[in-house]
Amino acid sequence: MTKARILCWLVILPALSLFAQTVTVNSFELPNGLRVILSPSNDVQAAAVCVYHMHGAGNEPAESRGITYLYQYLMFDGNENLEPYDHVLFINKMGGTVSGRVNYDNSVFYELLPAQEINVALWLESERLKRLRLQDSNIDYHKNQVFGRINRLWESNQNFKAQAWVNARVLEGSAYEQPLYGDLNKIRFLNNDRIRENYQNFQDLANILLIIAGKFDINELKAGINKFFQDIPRGRRFPHPVFRAQNPRKTRLVKNWLVPGLKKNFVVYGIKAPAKIGYNFMYFDFIRYYLTDPRFSKLEYILNTVNKLNVEIQSNFTDYMESNCLTIEISSSRRINLEKAKYVLEKEFQSLGANLISNNTMKSIRSLMEIDFLKSISQLEERCLRIGEFYHMFSELNFFDEQLKRLRKINSYDVQESAKKYFIQENQVVLNVYAE
Amino acid sequence: MCTPNRNFSLPGFFWLLGGILLWSGGSRELAAETRLFSFVTSKGLPVKVLQDNDMPFIHAQLHIFLDGNPQNYTSLAVSLLTVMNMFDRELNSPASNLMDMLQRQGNDYQVEQNPEFVKISMNFLPDRLGAFPRLLSEIFNYQSFHLRKFNQSKENFWSLYSKNRDWKKEMAILLAYQQIIGNFYFHQGFLFQDFVSKVNLAQVRSFLLKTFRPDNALLILKGRINPYFILGMIEKDLPQPPPQPTKVKKEEVSINSGRKIFILNNISPELPTLYWFDTAPAATDANYLPHFIGNFVLFGFPGGRIYQSEKSQFMMTGYKVNTETYFLKNFSIFCSYLRLNFSDLENFLLLVDLERRKFTARPIERKEYLDALNFYIGRAQVETNRFDHDLQGEVDRFVARSAAPPPLIGPELFQEVSINRVMQVMDEQMGYRHKSGGREKGIVVIVGNAALILNSLKILKPDSFEVLSD
Repeated sequence: MTKARILCWLVILPALSLFAQTVTVNSFELPNGLRVILSPSNDVQAAAVCVYHMHGAGNEPAESRGITYLYQYLMFDGNENLEPYDHVLFINKMGGTVSGRVNYDNSVFYELLPAQEINVALWLESERLKRLRLQDSNIDYHKNQVFGRINRLWESNQNFKAQAWVNARVLEGSAYEQPLYGDLNKIRFLNNDRIRENYQNFQDLANILLIIAGKFDINELKAGINKFFQDIPRGRRFPHPVFRAQNPRKTRLVKNWLVPGLKKNFVVYGIKAPAKIGYNFMYFDFIRYYLTDPRFSKLEYILNTVNKLNVEIQSNFTDYMESNCLTIEISSSRRINLEKAKYVLEKEFQSLGANLISNNTMKSIRSLMEIDFLKSISQLEERCLRIGEFYHMFSELNFFDEQLKRLRKINSYDVQESAKKYFIQENQVVLNVYAE
Repeated sequence: MCTPNRNFSLPGFFWLLGGILLWSGGSRELAAETRLFSFVTSKGLPVKVLQDNDMPFIHAQLHIFLDGNPQNYTSLAVSLLTVMNMFDRELNSPASNLMDMLQRQGNDYQVEQNPEFVKISMNFLPDRLGAFPRLLSEIFNYQSFHLRKFNQSKENFWSLYSKNRDWKKEMAILLAYQQIIGNFYFHQGFLFQDFVSKVNLAQVRSFLLKTFRPDNALLILKGRINPYFILGMIEKDLPQPPPQPTKVKKEEVSINSGRKIFILNNISPELPTLYWFDTAPAATDANYLPHFIGNFVLFGFPGGRIYQSEKSQFMMTGYKVNTETYFLKNFSIFCSYLRLNFSDLENFLLLVDLERRKFTARPIERKEYLDALNFYIGRAQVETNRFDHDLQGEVDRFVARSAAPPPLIGPELFQEVSINRVMQVMDEQMGYRHKSGGREKGIVVIVGNAALILNSLKILKPDSFEVLSD
């Protein structure tokens, strides 16, 4: 009998091993301090090259806030070898895509392109890191562009204004309090020499991760990396950032705005959420899915389906490393519906801490989160971003299995504890915007 | 305390062993690559399984074909309301069995309405594969229509329809399709609220009965799947379809892509979006690629003729045009679209016509041809990054009843499509007006504020635009 069991396991175990879920990630460092992270996938014919700067707008002193944000645009302005937007044109021409963004904690630029063209992306990225066209004319152009764009939004969009105000109040006292672009009135007067000088820190190789995912030949890739990046001088390594998770707010803040000519009254709830580096983040994320994800949206159900209030619901989440803000905006042209919706919403927040979420709902949302996680790592550019963020926060590379394990273990008690901590009135900022 | 199982029997063990071998037999061989298994169930449902053992979740697509008997569809509203009542998450009160099942499956599903089929796509974890056939059976056997929900869906039709989807593009393609196919099955013309209000529950039920049938659908599954296992499960759970309605002889499809400009009036201060639709052969046709190349030479970014001429001839700001292809049963539609300023709209329309006319005088240059082919190959490679990239080819081959191999994406393409072939095809397509004195081609749909659009015209006459407003 024992023999039969052993035989049975001998058959089952190799079959199960086929199902191990791992994403291979490894890394090495160039002599000049650039850390290269590789995540091969041979089942695709594409590759993603991602330059992850462990430097964002949050690293700037308050008086020069806005400089890093400008790099988001200056990065595509070329240099002595490339004309403005050549970078985008080169990649688009071969069927690929380019993207880049500056955030508070990091800045990310990447190319997704056919695997055999990987060296083109490496060359373009190295050009960007070596030298950039930072002449007064193009810096001034982008300063004016950014000012014009945000000013238009600020003047015409009451919702944008309200969201920005709530975000700033929820995250006050942190680096996230000020907008990415800093003070709008000062952006055009930022010193160009300061912008050029600051670029030395921004493109410092010691604070950059070069992440490559997809199909590649390791030897050819290493040769390409050496060719394009080894002559970039070693940077000055800054002490590794120590992220500090912030605590919830202690006092509720309620404010009313009266706006002449407003067509729809709306209210914005800002809830301070845990830091991405915190243990609680995943539980809060679970509640966010439960309340606001359009595939589940409990709020939509209780406000519009059950109570028939016919309100519009929009939500936004910041996704920062040290602290976060979940905003929920409810709007309606009928003031009475809006007031009822506020009442129902606050009751729902209270019930999150008082009652356990049912097992079926727990199972359903866990599965939704797991699918989203698996989908994101199957896409090369998203995988690069996740690898970069995780390395930036925890100096670890292989986290996929661990994350999945944690995700599968989320239970209703953890979620309830998180709700008790974060969905309390003291942790909320409420802005009522009414027509005058 | 754990007690040994005294009932362990040797025959039982061999059954288990056999089952495991059968199960692993279907999956072991393809540790790295995707393998295709095709079969048709006894109830007539064609199933394609793309077995990919590296994929950590399962992706499923169910296509329900609409191009059946014209009497099934008095209005596009019937089809849209049916799908809305079955799948819209906001219409889940009282809860339906189908919605409960979808939620248990993971709730990650999406329903798209295409002119020729309804596509229900969903993702779920491998441990839910066993429950999937029952869900499928519930879709084909749906009986949970509810009058209150139905009335609610009619009242709030537009707000429900436009939520979480690119409604402008979907409306534009439906309108263009209606224009292209003269004998289109939506007898009542375009989708106006009036048509929506007139639909009754009996029409929806009847539409469902005639259309949502296993023998009028295609199921594609991709992921870590044992095809034999899923075949058995589907066979077990799938209901016997009701007798097939009498087949009406289908009219021949005639394609008419003569010029027409529509404005879908959307009273909003937003910039208008312009959609330019051109027809091309089906994806499985040898002439598809020459058309693709021609379209790229015109609309491509950054090398396309229109992008190059925008600044030099019309002082525009350099709009990037995006192009998407809709693969349909008898033909394909290229949809090239962009958002642009009101003041540039007329210039853009004139520029496109100008560049199309030039095809006869200025043939495609070798560089343009090479750029287009390189882009085509590169884009196909980049697309492999999407987990569902290989499903479209299977749908095309099924719809065209073609056994054509998957499209080439390597340098061998250069041998397949010569520059002369491209020129010949484009001459027929674009040079048509000059040779025969016929009409310009290409359907244009502009979604935006009609009053502002018509006010911005300087050369074109307002009566050359057909305004659709509701």
